[in-house]
This record gives sequence, C-alpha cells and structure tokens, in this order.
Amino acid sequence: MKHICIIGNSAAAISAVEAIRERDKDSRITMISDEEYPAYCRCLISYLLAGDISEGKLALRPQDFYTQNKIDLVLGKKVVKLDPKKQRLTLADNEKIEFDIALIATGARADFPDIKGINKEGVSGFRTIKDAKDCLTWAQFAKVASVLGGGLIGLKAAYALRKKGLDVKVIVKSKHVLSQVLDETGAAIVQRHLEHHGIDVLPDQDVAEIIGNGQVKAVKLGSGKVIGSPIVIVGKGVKPNIELVKESDIKTEFGIITDEYLKTNVDGIFAAGDVAQCFDLVRGAAYINALWPNAIEQGKIAGANICGEKKAYAGSLAMNSVEFFGLPIISIGLKKTEPGFEALEFIDKRNSIYKKFIIKENVLKGFIAIGKINNSGVILKLIRDSIDISSIKQDLVSDSFSYARIIDLVGKDEIYTNIPAY
Amino acid sequence: MSQEDLKKDPAHKQLFERAHEEGVDTIWDREAKQEPHCGFGTLGICCKNCNLGPCRIDPFGEGASQGVCGATADTISARNLVRHIAAGTSCHSDHGREVAKTLLMAAKGETKFYKVSDEEKLKNLAAEYKIKTDNQDINTIAKELAQKILAEYGQQEGELVLANRAPDKQKQIWKKFNLMPRGIDREVVEALSRTNIGVDNDYANLMAHGMRVALADGWGGSMIATELTDILFGKPTPKTAKANLSVLKEDQVNIIVHGHVPLLSEMICDAASSEELLALAKEKGASGINLAGICCTANEILVRRGYPVAGDFILQELAILTGAVDLMLVDLQCIMPTLPEVAECFHTKMVSTSSKARFPGMEHVEFREEEALPIAKKIVRMAIENFPNRDKARVCIPKTAANDLVPGFTTEYVFGMLGGRYRPSYRPLNDAIINGRIRGVAGVVGCDNPKMASSQSHVTLVKELIKNDVLVVQTGCSAVSCARAGLLTPEAAFEFAGKGLREVCEAVGCPPVLHLGSCVDNSRILTACCEMVKEGGIGKSLDELPVAGAAPEWMSEKAIAIGWYFVASGLLVLFGMPFPVYGSDNMTKYVFEDVEKITGGKWAFENDPLKMAKVMIEHINSKRKALNLKPMLYESKVEVSA
Amino acid sequence: MKRLYFDVTKCLACRTCELVCCVGHSVSKDFFQALKEKKVQLPRIKVSLGKGKTMPIACRHCQDPKCVDACIARALTYDFEKKEVVHDKDKCVGCWMCIMVCPYGAIRPDEEARQPVRCDHCVEIGEPQCAKNCPTKAIKYQEDNKK
Repeated sequence: MKHICIIGNSAAAISAVEAIRERDKDSRITMISDEEYPAYCRCLISYLLAGDISEGKLALRPQDFYTQNKIDLVLGKKVVKLDPKKQRLTLADNEKIEFDIALIATGARADFPDIKGINKEGVSGFRTIKDAKDCLTWAQFAKVASVLGGGLIGLKAAYALRKKGLDVKVIVKSKHVLSQVLDETGAAIVQRHLEHHGIDVLPDQDVAEIIGNGQVKAVKLGSGKVIGSPIVIVGKGVKPNIELVKESDIKTEFGIITDEYLKTNVDGIFAAGDVAQCFDLVRGAAYINALWPNAIEQGKIAGANICGEKKAYAGSLAMNSVEFFGLPIISIGLKKTEPGFEALEFIDKRNSIYKKFIIKENVLKGFIAIGKINNSGVILKLIRDSIDISSIKQDLVSDSFSYARIIDLVGKDEIYTNIPAY
Repeated sequence: MSQEDLKKDPAHKQLFERAHEEGVDTIWDREAKQEPHCGFGTLGICCKNCNLGPCRIDPFGEGASQGVCGATADTISARNLVRHIAAGTSCHSDHGREVAKTLLMAAKGETKFYKVSDEEKLKNLAAEYKIKTDNQDINTIAKELAQKILAEYGQQEGELVLANRAPDKQKQIWKKFNLMPRGIDREVVEALSRTNIGVDNDYANLMAHGMRVALADGWGGSMIATELTDILFGKPTPKTAKANLSVLKEDQVNIIVHGHVPLLSEMICDAASSEELLALAKEKGASGINLAGICCTANEILVRRGYPVAGDFILQELAILTGAVDLMLVDLQCIMPTLPEVAECFHTKMVSTSSKARFPGMEHVEFREEEALPIAKKIVRMAIENFPNRDKARVCIPKTAANDLVPGFTTEYVFGMLGGRYRPSYRPLNDAIINGRIRGVAGVVGCDNPKMASSQSHVTLVKELIKNDVLVVQTGCSAVSCARAGLLTPEAAFEFAGKGLREVCEAVGCPPVLHLGSCVDNSRILTACCEMVKEGGIGKSLDELPVAGAAPEWMSEKAIAIGWYFVASGLLVLFGMPFPVYGSDNMTKYVFEDVEKITGGKWAFENDPLKMAKVMIEHINSKRKALNLKPMLYESKVEVSA
Repeated sequence: MKRLYFDVTKCLACRTCELVCCVGHSVSKDFFQALKEKKVQLPRIKVSLGKGKTMPIACRHCQDPKCVDACIARALTYDFEKKEVVHDKDKCVGCWMCIMVCPYGAIRPDEEARQPVRCDHCVEIGEPQCAKNCPTKAIKYQEDNKK
C-alpha cells in the first residue's frame, strides 16, 4: 500500500487530499502540520481579530473530515528535513517518517525584516490563528497599534484593529499602500478611504527601531519620529518555507520549482501552494502568487497527478479581493501599465469608484476595480485564457459590461440556446 | 451620438470624464444603465391604458396574443403611436399658442415689450385669414389675426387656414380620407379619447386620425409658431455665426438660454445687450456678457440675431461641465432634469422660467410677457452677480475654434436668394432641378440620440446627399451637429458638394446645406415645397416632388409628430431608429407601404447613414423619372457607397 | 439535475424575471409588500445586453465551481446530491472572492448585507420564479440533457 505524506494542512494540502481520495480510497495518507489546529483558512484571521466571526467558524472542513477520509493527522510537529533519496521526513523532535510519495505544501511564513527590536513581545506576523489570538489579547489593553507594511496583510490587520477601536498607524515604505496590488490612482482612493475611517497612513517611511524592554513600547521611524504603540504588526511579505529541502537535490529558486504537473525535479515529490514556484499566466514566467484560490487549484491538480492522472496546471495569476469599511477592492494580474501596453480607465473620485484595464495587443493583462466589482470574474476569465478582446474593448469600462458581451468569445455555452452568429 | 462617437472629440471626451470625476452621470451613462431597453416597449406591444393590464403581447406567439380587453398588437401599437403623435403635436401647438397670445397682447397694448416687426409678413398672413389690411392700423390687423388664430385652437368644425397653402391634390386627398384637421386642440383631445380602452380598435382608422393630428401640427401649431415668430421678431436672414462649446468665454459672463420658445430668449438678448447690464458686468470684472444657446431656442436667436450656439440637446450637460457657465436659464422641452445636479459641481445657477416646466433643484423665476424685459434683466443680473463666483482654475472651455456657419434661410428668402432682388422667384431652383444640376431637396432634421450606433450619422448623411447633388435643408439639433462639422458654410460646397450643386451654390453664394431654424421651422419646408409646386415643372403635388426627409437620431415625440405630418403631406421620411411598431406586422406594412397608397408619403427605417442616403437618393431619382426630368448633368462617377 | 436554460431569441429584456426573483426571495412573497420590506431583495438573475441580443444571467451551478474553490470561509459548498452550489450566509464574511472568480459574473455583491447575491433556484419556494413567470418562455427550468 502506497504511503502518501502531505506536509502541510492548509489550502493546497486539503484540496490535494480530497483530489486523492476522489481517485484512491486505499493508499495511506499522513498529513503533518506544525500548527495545533485542524485545517483553517488563514485569510479569515483578520475577521477573527475584528470580531466579525468566532473561532468555531474558522475550520476548513467538518470535525470528522480526517477520520472520514482515513487520514492520519499529525499536529504541532514541524518537518525539518525531507530526504528524497531515502524517501524519509525528519521532524523537529527527530521522529522519522517514511513515504512513497510526498507533497510539500508547507506554505510561507511572515518575513520579518532585520530591524532592531523586532523580536520583542508585542510584535506579530499576522499569519496564524495564534497571531490573531495574541493580537486579541494585546488589543484589550492597547490604544494604539502600528502596522509595518502597506500590503494586504498589513491593511487587513489594520482594519481589524481599527474595528476594535484602536488608533492605527500604517507605516509604508513605498509611495503608496497596496503597491503590489494597486496602481497609484487606485491606492490614493483606498488611502483616502482608510484615513476617512481613522487609519493613519504614513507613506515613504520606514522603521528604524522597535523600542521597549522585552515588551514593545514604541516604533521609531527612519525620520526620527517616535510613535508610541504596544502592538506592532509586521506585514512585510512572506517567505516560502523551503528550508526542509535545503540539503536535498530538490531545486528551489524563490520557492520550490515545479513543472506543469506540480512535480519537483525529483520523481514522487510534488509541491503546491504558497511554497510552490509555478508559471504565472500574465507575466509569462515563473512566479509565486501566494493566494488562496491558487493554492486550492494547485492542490487539486497535484492530487490528481499524485494518483497518476496526468493533469496539467496552466499557471497561477495574481488575484486579490478585499473590502475595507464598505469599499470593495479587486485586483487581477498586472496593476501598472508598462510601455507598449494600453490602459482604459474610469475614475469617479467623489464616490471612490475606479476601474482600470491593462491591455497588451488586444489581450487583457491586468484589472483593478475599486468600489464597483461586478463581473470581475468575467474579466478574470478573459485574462486567464488570454482571450482577444478587440471586439469588446470599448465595452469593458461600461457598467453594462457582462458575460453576455463575451459569450461569443468563450466557446459553446450550452445554457444559452439560439445565440445568433456574430 | 453614441458614447464612442462623443469620445472621438478630445474636448468632449475630457468633459465627459470630468463628469465622472465629479461623481455625476451624463446622458451616456444613464443610457448604458438602461440597456438593455425593454423589448416589449421597443416593439410597441405593451399597453398601460387601463387597469385590466398592464398588458404585453408575446411577439413569439407562445404567450398572450391579445391584451385583457382583447386588443391585438395592431391596435396596441397604433394606439400608442397616436398618443405619441398627440404629445408631439401638443408641444408645438402650445408653442404656437404662446406666440399667438403674445401677438394679441402686443396688439392690445398689454405688453410694451413685443411688437410687430415685419409688417409685410403680417399683412400677407392676415390676407390668408381673410382679414382686411388696406388702411388698417398695424395693431388692429395684428389683433384680429391673433384672435382668428387662437380661435383655430378651439375650433370644432371646418379647416385650418394654413392647410389651404397645400397644393390642391394634397387637399383633395386629405378631404377624401378625412385627414383634414378641424381644429388644433380638438384633434389632440380626440386622439386621447379614441385610444381609451374599447374605442378605436382598427389600426388603419387610428392611424388616419393620427395623421390628422400630425397635420394639425405641421399646418397648424408649428406653422403658426413659425409665421407669428417671424412677424414679432422679423424673418431670419443669412448671417455668419458660431457653433460649439468654445463659444463660451473665459473673460465674459456666460449665459446659456435653453429650451424652445423665443418669447423668452429674444428678451434675454435685449437684456444682455442693455447698457446698464453691460456696465454692471464690467463692474464685476467681466469684459462683457456672452449669450449662447442650446436646443431650439438657440436656433431661434441664431437665425434672427446671429447669437452663437453652444451645443445641441445631447451636449447640454457638457456645457455646464466646462465650469464656465454663470447661469443657464430654461423654459421648456428637451431639458434634462439632471442639470441642477451637474450645476452643483460648479458655481452655475440653474433657472427655470415656465410654470409648465418645473425642475427640482432649479431656482424659479416665472416669465410673464407683461413684464418680459424687466424679468429678463433680472435673470441676466443674477448671472452677472454670479460671475465673481466662477472658479477660474476649474474652467475648462474647449480650445478648438468654434465652427462658422451661415444659418437663417427661409421660404421667403429663397425667392430673393435665387432670383435676385428684382426677380425674386423659385424658378431658378426648379430649373436647377429640372436641368439636372440639383437632384432634389432633402430635409435632414431632428434630435441627437446616445443610442445611435452609427457614428456621425447627421454629418455622414448630409455629406453623402450633397455629394450626390441633393440640396439639403436643416433644422434643429441636426443642423447644429452639421454646423460643428463645417457643413453650413458656402465653402462647404467647394469641399463636399457634387459638381451640379456646387455650381448653383457658387452662383448664388449660399451653402449647400441651408439652416432653416428651429424644429417648429420644419413648417418652412412645407411652405417651400408648396412654392416649388406652385412654380411648376417638378410636380403638381407634394408627393410628386423630388424631395425626401430624414431624422437620423430622433428621440422626442415631437419628431414622431413632425415625421407623420410630412408623410401625411406626401413625403418620404426616414428615421434612423424605428418608432415602436415592429411588434405588429400590419402596422409595419402600414407605415412602409399602405400609407403611400393614401397620402403618397411613406416611412423607412435605416440605421446606417450611407444606406439612408441611398434610400433617399433612390426615392428622389424615382420622382425625377416619374416627372420625366432630364438626367442629372453630372452623374456621380462614384456609386452611392452603401 | 435541473438547471435554468435561456433561449436568447425570446428574451425581450422586460426584466420580469428580475422582479419576480426579488418578490420570490422576499418575506411576504407579495409584489407590493416586497417593495416595502425593510430589506428589499436584490434580483439573483440579471438581464444583460450582449452584442445586439439580451439574455438573463444567473448562477448555473457549475459542477466544478470556481466560487466554491475560492471561498475562504467555506460558505459556498457543492451539494453532490442536489447538484447545486449552496451558500451558507452564516459562514459568509463578505470577502467577495466568489465574485472575483465567477466566470459568468453570476454573483453580485449586496453591499448592505455583505453577502453575495446568487441564484438558489428559489429553494424556499421550490420552483424558480423566473422560469415560471417569463412572458415569452425564454427561461426554462429543465433536465440537463433536454434543451
């Protein structure tokens, strides 16, 4: 009987396990997670912190999921080494586990920059339930919180803390917030909206030191300004957890390199999720888009390939959806116009509505929607499948754009009969 | 003019985007939100006339084929169409009524601000009404004329005097088929009563009355409005003027007058040129007062006094978005109720003036003819006082030069224009048509519509027509569109007209496209056609003339009424988009074929302006053939491209 | 498994489907009352304009639903028995990931309620109101293999 080991217990791991069990009810499956909790969606922890949901709602699958699917679940143990030659995993407590096939779905961890005082109590990465619970505890006694980084994780934490009534300061190194997700115009709209709701955004600033003795007391900026803040959230990006293959033959670059079947360079070893380096459909090159839907899709496909079914993964896309204080924001693919590209825009500053389409040679490469997000999924399809949009270019920005406009571009749709030939 | 078409002009595109930045909708945004428009309405097969409904006919035959009362698609679409004609006719009727009432007031001395300016025209018109003019005081003649005209509104039996101008054959047809209007208001009232549930259910009978209502507009309300406006303010004469948004000035008080009835706009002209107000303007830092117009009232003061046109119907919001308008005053018809929202983004004041036309958000200064000039001055003063509030940093007047145009042609003027001072006559026009220099005459009129898919429809159609030696006459927003493309100048003949038409224009010194005025001035086309028939050689009745009409982007019910009065008078009329009739096969056949057997006129619907031109030219050619006219002198080597 | 099918030649964009969808999801299920309720329902089906043709767009309960994959709160799940995509509004956090991935644009945001608006085949009533009330029968609720 084959033994399949899955290192990880989040999006990619769970969807891989389900894909495997769909095809193979017999092989032994072990899932190993370094967290104490059964699978949960880490995208939800900001809602937990904000008080929008309770801990009970975090579980990704029902309680009996692991037993129903005959999975041996190992919680609270970290895999420190994967030896592909010996087909063996080594855990932190030196326990060894042998496998026939392995799926590395170790995800990524919060990247802590090298700042003096970064390891004080009160500094958190905001990736895990533990991070959220720590913040919940600290937030009870704090009046101010600072967030390092203007990315999605930082802003989601900022939003949650603001909802808890704290004064929040977001310290952003770049010129504007969400520099990985939005362009300048979009970011300006979002920033104005955040400031309107009491979040202080400090762009063009970096942090020189985190001050306090053991416990964080304040944050000192590069400009010299000191902000008193007992909570510091670090939202400075993530680092894929590739250490476990450091000493092996498994090739890595910024993540674990995979082919279109999500297999590493070593047979029988696969990778999926935030740790896996895949092909980015828009950039046309290897990249990691560490996002929930990508991880789910990769896990599914990895699971199929693990069972011997050769299923190709077309590639990942940058795609983000978030809402702050009633302002929805969606961003797909590229966000900045590069030379040779065309951009179509719609701006209504008064009502915080912004739409932007980035096009190269009649194919959509990027999309930003703020305020009005209807039909974003249709745009995602156009980007993902590189569909020629020359016949509908002028319709994209319109409020009345819909799937109906592209139905002739996406192949036969059996739901609609008698569509005339265009 | 679709959104795409609009954005081709960089100045318009900039203002359009400005609207979004300010968070206001424009007509193009609202149109996009309304799409897709309800198909039942578009096909004319929904009826809301009574509480047995509202009803819909299923055009695919599976569902209901009758309303609850039993009305079929034929009845429903005919009833709806008759109500549209009645509404359009009513607009023009009321317009004529107001002018007639003012003439009466002036004649009686009840207002010192209006007077008879064209005594000759007064006497000619009075003679038509069988009023004695020898040795009579002008005001006495005017009073009797006004009273007789107002009586026609309430007339129960008989005929309308001006319908008498039509050639005999037309009048015989009207009498034969009961199309002769008996009284202006009577026909409108009967239109409403016939279309109530369980009254007229025969579509052909309904349409016959519909045509009667339309004729009460063309040979009634509209013609009255045109003639009496000429009498009160003088006939238009050709002059040079300017059109497009860049007529607004950075250093002057900008006032836009918008709407339809010249009783108001003429007074505003007088007020804006008064010494006291010019002095006040200088006091407030402006170098002068700049009055410009939008819609038909713009055309009225354009053709008589040469005032510039800021834009046509569809650009009214963009005019405000320049940030340069200190005050926009409106009376009635074709005014978008969103103007106050747009004005709020700037310092612009919006003023309504008619008790019949109130708009939430507009300040109301009621206009009364008895105090016409003082009220006009009050409004102009409001504009001047608002000038200092203009935020110069937010002013965005398009930099492109305003287009020149030569408007102001009338039926009467054409006599003089063609025949010269000593032999005024239509003979030269008729001869040009007979000899094949001019193929025929086409009227291109009507509104501007954001739904129109074809780009530049007015301009494309007019260019194609004049290229094929068709003399074009225009009114309304269509004329303004073409003015903005430079077609309304004598020079346009050299650039765009076919050889034959060009020769005539060169000889006479006129543009190949003649701007006749506002939409009520479509009645000038009727009178010109009558003169052409009278002069002889190109048909003994209106339906024999080599003429055709088109409204490429119609939008209002007034356009339906106008189209129907031309069809009822024997002419071909094209609309760029159908009116709601396609849901009924019988009604569709009626408008395309059956009606021709009655009046000699008919309808065509064609979206593509080049195809429109083709239809019109083929129609004109067929009339030429039937009259045995000589072949065209310079038959275009280029096939009519469609 | 029954689904909604749309005959494009018969859609006249009258939007009856939208109206009856709102009424069908209201509390009172009565046309006039529905408009007065505290929370006026948004239609789950939307009539849209393609190139010269109108067609209603509603969730078609894909068998490989992208929205279920993208849902971070497991509010959207696929019911294998009923062959429908089901939404649990108690679990939903209003993140709009589903809207970001639905290739048909069949999900819209209800900003007020922070919930996605999508077709549930009128599960409360038991029969889709749009198909029942379409005046031209452009909308049909029928088995997969029949058209």
